Amino acid sequence: MQPMAPVVTVAEPVESLQLEDFDQVVRLYWPRIFRFALASLRDQEAAESVAQDCFLRAHHARQRFRGQSSLSTWLMQIAVNLVRDHCRNRRIQFWKRARALAPDLDAVSRSIADRGVSPEGKALVKEQIEAVWKATEKLPEKQRTVFLLRFVEDLNLLEIAAATGLKEGTVKTHLFRATESIRQRLGGIV
Amino acid sequence: MNKHFSSEQISRWMIGERTAQDEEHARQCPECAAKVAGFESAITLFRESVRACGDSYRRPEIPLLAGVRRARRNFVTRPSRWAPVAAALVLLAAIPIYTNSRDRRRQAEMARADAALLEQVDVEISRAVPAPMEPLVKLVSWNTNGTTQTGENR
Repeated sequence: MQPMAPVVTVAEPVESLQLEDFDQVVRLYWPRIFRFALASLRDQEAAESVAQDCFLRAHHARQRFRGQSSLSTWLMQIAVNLVRDHCRNRRIQFWKRARALAPDLDAVSRSIADRGVSPEGKALVKEQIEAVWKATEKLPEKQRTVFLLRFVEDLNLLEIAAATGLKEGTVKTHLFRATESIRQRLGGIV
Repeated sequence: MNKHFSSEQISRWMIGERTAQDEEHARQCPECAAKVAGFESAITLFRESVRACGDSYRRPEIPLLAGVRRARRNFVTRPSRWAPVAAALVLLAAIPIYTNSRDRRRQAEMARADAALLEQVDVEISRAVPAPMEPLVKLVSWNTNGTTQTGENR
């Protein structure tokens, strides 16, 4: 058995960053936290609110950060909790708002699909992107969180376990179920 | 060639649980390789779309720490924020003071009552005769050589 390989390699932020320079921490990690919140909540305002809250809490608790996990994992742990609280506390409003303020998927998938050469290719890319978005929306909360952390944020199983407070084996189970569920929902598209 | 990948095997491949045998099969079977590549491609496109969505929204211009400082300033400059807290503190501080002063008042009253009682006892004790006989004392005076004289001059 081989270790999990990242789908796409991305430059990791500097982990040795000092928490004292908190403005720099916010600048560096804001996109990642906001992106995770946006993909989880499908609501720009809620995602902004979660990201703001995440950094405020981190700022208040910065003295307690002992460096047992990386800074990004610690921030992601706070974000995961905030997203979970948001979903639980405002479930009804969340779904109503999510419909109204969802990211403009059509525009995004079109811009990515424009790279395709043929009109058929573009249509297929657009269809695939929208299908995965819809499939992730249908996932149970924990499966969605684990799936996004793995395939969007490129965290490994241990980092996901640290961010979610789940055991590594449980993370693996959720990840497998989420992946299998999405694959089945995609059906004949891929 | 082995059997084609099952749905479960493709999902396991995606999460990194793949054996050397699986990899060998993917190399030799264009059909399974295409299935795996198609799913990987869909996930990669999804990832790019999430990132594009995230990048399309800009971080609010107000720096986070300025927000923290503003919240602190608002607390200081707006009496509506701190007045209830201050009032509660004053009330808490006043309770022991009020209790102490009430205790002191009660002690002073008890001391005054004790003093009045003692004074009354002194008066009772210092009487030469019981109160009902006092009118007689006014009529009869006692001299030092043992004889008794009436109060009237004869």
